[in-house]
Amino acid sequence: MKILVAVKQVAALDEDFEIRADGRDVDPDFLVRDLNEWDDYSLEEAMKIKEAATTPVEVVAVCVGPEDADEALRKCLAKGADRAIRVWDESLADADSIAIARVIAAVARREKPQLLLAGAQASDHAFASTGVAVAALLDWAHAAVITLLDYTSGAKSAVLRRELEGGVLHEMQIETPAVLTLQLGINTPRYASLRSIKQAAAKPIEVLTPADLGMSSAEVGAAGSASRVRRMYVPEKGRAHMIEGSVAEQAARIAQLIRERTGGAP
Amino acid sequence: MSDTSAVTRVLFEDFAPAAIAVFYLIAAAAIAIFGFGVYQQVRKYRYGTAAEVSGGLSARFREMVGTVLSHRTIARRDRPAGAAHRLIFYGFVLLFLGTTTITLDYDILGPLFHVHFWHGAFYLWFSLVLDVAGVALAGGLGYMMYRRGWLKPPKLDYARPDRKPGDPDYDRSDYRREDWAFLWTLLTIAVTGYLLEAVRLVWLEARPDVWETRWWSPVGAALAAGMRAAGMSAAAGGAWRLGLWWFHGILALIFIALIPFTKVKHIFTAAGSLLLRDPLAAQRLPKVPVEQQRVGAQYITDFTWQQLLALDACTKCGRCHEACPARAVGAPLSPRDVILSLREFANRTLESGVLPAQAELDVHGKGPGQVSMETLWSCRTCMACVEVCPVAIEHVPIIVQLRRKLVEEGEMDPQLKKTLQTIHKSGNSFGESKRKRAAWTKALPFAVKDARKEPVEILWFVGDYASFDPRNQKVSQGLATLLHDAGVDFGILYEGESNAGNDVRRVGEEGLYELLATANIESLSAASFKSIVTTDPHSYNTIRNEYPDFGGRYAIEHYTTLLLRLLQEGRLKIARQLGQRVTFHDPCHLGRFNKGYDAPREILRLIGCELIEMGRCRSNSFCCGAGGGRIWMPDPPGADRPAHNRMREAAAISGLQVFVVSCPKDLTMFEDALKATGNEGQFVVRELIELVREALAREQLAPVPGAAA
Repeated sequence: MKILVAVKQVAALDEDFEIRADGRDVDPDFLVRDLNEWDDYSLEEAMKIKEAATTPVEVVAVCVGPEDADEALRKCLAKGADRAIRVWDESLADADSIAIARVIAAVARREKPQLLLAGAQASDHAFASTGVAVAALLDWAHAAVITLLDYTSGAKSAVLRRELEGGVLHEMQIETPAVLTLQLGINTPRYASLRSIKQAAAKPIEVLTPADLGMSSAEVGAAGSASRVRRMYVPEKGRAHMIEGSVAEQAARIAQLIRERTGGAP
Repeated sequence: MSDTSAVTRVLFEDFAPAAIAVFYLIAAAAIAIFGFGVYQQVRKYRYGTAAEVSGGLSARFREMVGTVLSHRTIARRDRPAGAAHRLIFYGFVLLFLGTTTITLDYDILGPLFHVHFWHGAFYLWFSLVLDVAGVALAGGLGYMMYRRGWLKPPKLDYARPDRKPGDPDYDRSDYRREDWAFLWTLLTIAVTGYLLEAVRLVWLEARPDVWETRWWSPVGAALAAGMRAAGMSAAAGGAWRLGLWWFHGILALIFIALIPFTKVKHIFTAAGSLLLRDPLAAQRLPKVPVEQQRVGAQYITDFTWQQLLALDACTKCGRCHEACPARAVGAPLSPRDVILSLREFANRTLESGVLPAQAELDVHGKGPGQVSMETLWSCRTCMACVEVCPVAIEHVPIIVQLRRKLVEEGEMDPQLKKTLQTIHKSGNSFGESKRKRAAWTKALPFAVKDARKEPVEILWFVGDYASFDPRNQKVSQGLATLLHDAGVDFGILYEGESNAGNDVRRVGEEGLYELLATANIESLSAASFKSIVTTDPHSYNTIRNEYPDFGGRYAIEHYTTLLLRLLQEGRLKIARQLGQRVTFHDPCHLGRFNKGYDAPREILRLIGCELIEMGRCRSNSFCCGAGGGRIWMPDPPGADRPAHNRMREAAAISGLQVFVVSCPKDLTMFEDALKATGNEGQFVVRELIELVREALAREQLAPVPGAAA
């Protein structure tokens, strides 16, 4: 039995940041990188299935990203993943979520897992589309934004629960192999101690290129993407300002502002 | 008085040879049982891992003997108990030496060399000294009985804060029974000794050398007088003497035989523990060897043999129980219970000589003898227990070793987990960008030197709280101004500084600690400076005591000694005496850990503050509750907190104006506690730095925001 966990090394903004010269992304010097929070939960879910199993389960973490994404994979290895695969070459730099999904699907075809777990979304770009796109490419069953998963290693189907609007719960059964995208809070991710992270540094990470997976350059990167970032920018600051003074003065000023905005008599 | 040169006590007088043989047989059996018991205990300790004992054995031995003879540690914070124990100790030792003397004369020198010295004047003085020793012993035992039976100090209540009434090991009633059995047995031995002495005198009243020298055994002689007055004949005395002789002798032999199996073994284990004490046990935690497979302590056999021995040294005296801040606020932790639990666990699993399956050696959990994670996470690693333990038990490294295993398994508070991840990611516990570490300096009218770029005389290691906490930033600005005004050539490491790691290490995240310590040592080695000064006593402790283990050796001091020097040398000039009524809170890591008690007090004196000490001060200072990583864990809602407890103590000082602290975490903890305990407006919490600034100012400074006037 094998579970594939797709993870992403996300970017978070540092205190002050600048936009890249081409205006399409933040300057990478101002980004702090970490494993996507959602992926922490999907790895934990895989580990729970592995630990409850009576027969061996292999948990394989896969990431599409440059070398610094190894850090995210090391964290997965530190928490108990058996193997890690990173797919990259320069052509992937401008890939959108569909092109990324195509790479992950290629890895899934090679690895043939029973389950493919992914986070419901990534905290940086928040497309929430990579996981479901993989399911579409593989033509596997899928369910998104799962808050409870009941799956026994080797079983033909899984039972899961999703939270819908208005507090309605949606319980469903799904045939495997399947792609499941998980919501935060589905479990309590374990702590990766520094010691385990250091030990994980000794474990190998398999690095592949799209070509190794038999993908043509037309399928990946900008060429294989259906969308493109036009620009990234910080909107103009709003005109909020603090009204100071005594309560009476503040009230008078507010009343004055309301009259100005609504065109009422002064 | 007739010639007394031949006077002695004839041993086994009137005994049949068979009776003497029976006695020697019983004595040999008792010694054999004792020997087996010792073997069994040593075998138990040998299941422990190797212990590192540094320093010369002779120096250690001298110090141990000094501690034992002076009873210095036993008399601390309980003088009557110390005095009573001293009586028991010296009484027992003298009586034991007396018996040894007789053995030497009768069983060794006599048969081998026909030398006898136990007669005449020596014998008479011997009799007198031992009679007095017996009084001391019985007197000490009597007080201890009075103490246990009537005074009932709360620290001798063995009820456990980490168990519920009804749990099988809740009140440890077996220990109570053992305590009483011990007292009664020893007292019975002493009393029957006197009775035996007395009936012998009655029996031998016709023999002048015995009768005329009887007052050399004053207690025996007085009792004999009473017995004769009550009509006891010489023959009756002889009969009583035979019965009492056997009773006293066999009871004493049983006592000896049982030493290794009962609390009496503390005679040896306490001495051993004192001999092996690590004077920096809490200040410098043990490293994890690179080749070690498991981190910390999971199984009882993960402890060192020294620790296993120390578990057996505990006499349940309750000094740690009384001093523990976690216990004081009702947390499920008493240092004594941790030690006793582990001891019971070790006895159950390691005494038989056959090691049970590994699963049965796991000391984590809620079963009998196990230690729960709630207990371990309650500890503030404030060192109050280690500092006061009269027999040198080192609770803090034991607790941290147990925590290391919990950290490895991730069994900790979610907020703590988050903080550790944050520290890993950003190098500080506030989750702030590294670049913002020195942001507090921007408000200063002068630039603070970047010690990474230019040499400085004093490198100021600022620490997380003093760098990022808004209230503490004001204090940091104050200290920077003081140093600047005094013309001190100082600088800071800017982004090169990371969390010093003191508390990370005490949480038990050794890997993260190593990362932080190594990163800081790297920054420090790249800088050029003469010495380090810290604001934070926690940073001070780890850089001073623990960084050397990682290759970082520096001259270092806490700001209190630096400020004192600047004041004394006149580089900072006091403009006015504050005349405030203050009390001073010793930070654990400055006071107890590093004995920095005097500098802050001297500064307070120089700036004209009237210092009123709290009951718990200096080595007995009461932790604010933030230590050991507890500052990153929420306290249970509704429960009392150490800082609140401390505020109530301070509030009892009449006319108190300022509660002075010299630690950034203290400032945060106590300003919160001041409000929470409703003492806001009664007095204020101030950093010592703020008071010094006030005393230097020609005019009164504006009150510091956050510190209500």
